Amino acid sequence: MMSDSDLEAGELLVILRHGPHGTSWLREGLDAALVAAAFGRRVSLLFMGEGVGALVTGQQAGPLGQKGTAPTLEMLAMYDIETLWVEAEALSSLGLAEDDLMLPARPLAAEAIERAVAAHPLVLTF
Amino acid sequence: MATVEIYRYLSVDGQAIGLDPEGYLVDLAQWSPGVAEALADEEGIHLEEDHWEVLRVLRDFYGRYEMAPAMRPLVKAVGMALGPDKGRSIHLMRLFPGSPAKVAARLAGLPKPTNCL
Amino acid sequence: MKLHIVNRSPASSQVHAQAVTAMGPDDRLLLIEDGVQGALPQLVRYFEDIPGRLYALREDLEARGLVGRCDASVQVVDVDGFVQLTEEAEQTVSWY
Repeated sequence: MMSDSDLEAGELLVILRHGPHGTSWLREGLDAALVAAAFGRRVSLLFMGEGVGALVTGQQAGPLGQKGTAPTLEMLAMYDIETLWVEAEALSSLGLAEDDLMLPARPLAAEAIERAVAAHPLVLTF
Repeated sequence: MATVEIYRYLSVDGQAIGLDPEGYLVDLAQWSPGVAEALADEEGIHLEEDHWEVLRVLRDFYGRYEMAPAMRPLVKAVGMALGPDKGRSIHLMRLFPGSPAKVAARLAGLPKPTNCL
Repeated sequence: MKLHIVNRSPASSQVHAQAVTAMGPDDRLLLIEDGVQGALPQLVRYFEDIPGRLYALREDLEARGLVGRCDASVQVVDVDGFVQLTEEAEQTVSWY
C-alpha cells in the first residue's frame, strides 16, 4: 500500500490510454506532458488500458518507417518526468509484467489510481 | 514529420543547402561542420570549442531521442555530458544568445524544438 | 470534486470503466453523446460503484429517443445543468 504523500507527486497528471502507432493520441499526450515539464511543471504519467502498450520493450519504427514513441519515452527523464504509473489490471490483462516494461513504471491498483487522480489539481486524458 | 518547403538556400562550399522559413535545415542529412559555421555566421556567432561541444551534445541527444530538446532538458544534457559548470543556462545564453535551445538546435542541424515556445 | 465526462457507450468501449476506476468518492460522472446509452436500465450496472453520482445529458438522450427509457437512478440534466455541474467541480476530466 502506498502512502498519500507518495501520490502528491505532481501538478499535472497525464493519462495515456492509447497504444503506439495506431493513432496520434499517445504522441499528443506525451507532447502535452513535455510542454508542461519544459515550463517547470511537475508532471506524472499514468498508462491505462491499451496505453500500457506504450511501455513494452522492443518497440520499433512502423512498417513504413513511421517513428515510434519509444525514444520519446526514454527522453522523459531528461525532462524530469520520473513519476510513471501503470494500471496494474491493464498490465495483467495483456499478460505483461514489470519486467516487460522499458521504463520503471509502478503498477497501481484501482484504489491507488483513484487517489492519484484526486491528488493532482489538473488531469488530462489522451 | 510533414514535408517542409524550402524557403531559401544557404551556399556552403558550392553546395546549396535548403532552409525552412525559420532557418532550420530542410534535409537534416545535409548538415556538416561547414554548414554549422555558415549558419553561425548568420547569427553573428564565431564557433569555438565551447560551441562545438554543445552542438555535439545536441546531435547526440537527437540521435538518441529523435527530438530536439527544449531549454531545460538541454541544460540537463549539457550538464551530464560536459559537467555541472557548463550545464547552466547562463553558459548556454552566452554561447547562443537569444534563445539557446532554438539557436543551438539550428546550428546543430536539428529540427526546431517542438515543445518550446 | 471532479466532474468526469464520458461520451462512449458501454456497449462498445471500456472507456466508462476507466472513468469509474479514476473517480474519487465525491466525483460525479456525466454521460453525453453516445455515452448516454449507459443510462439504460440494461447498461446502468456498469456504474453501480458510483451510486447517486451518475448524470446524463437530456439533449443527447432526446436526440436518441432515450429520454423516457433511462434507469431511475440516473439524474437527467439539461445543458444548464451541465454548466452547473461544471461550475461545482474543481476540474472536468473527459473520457473519450
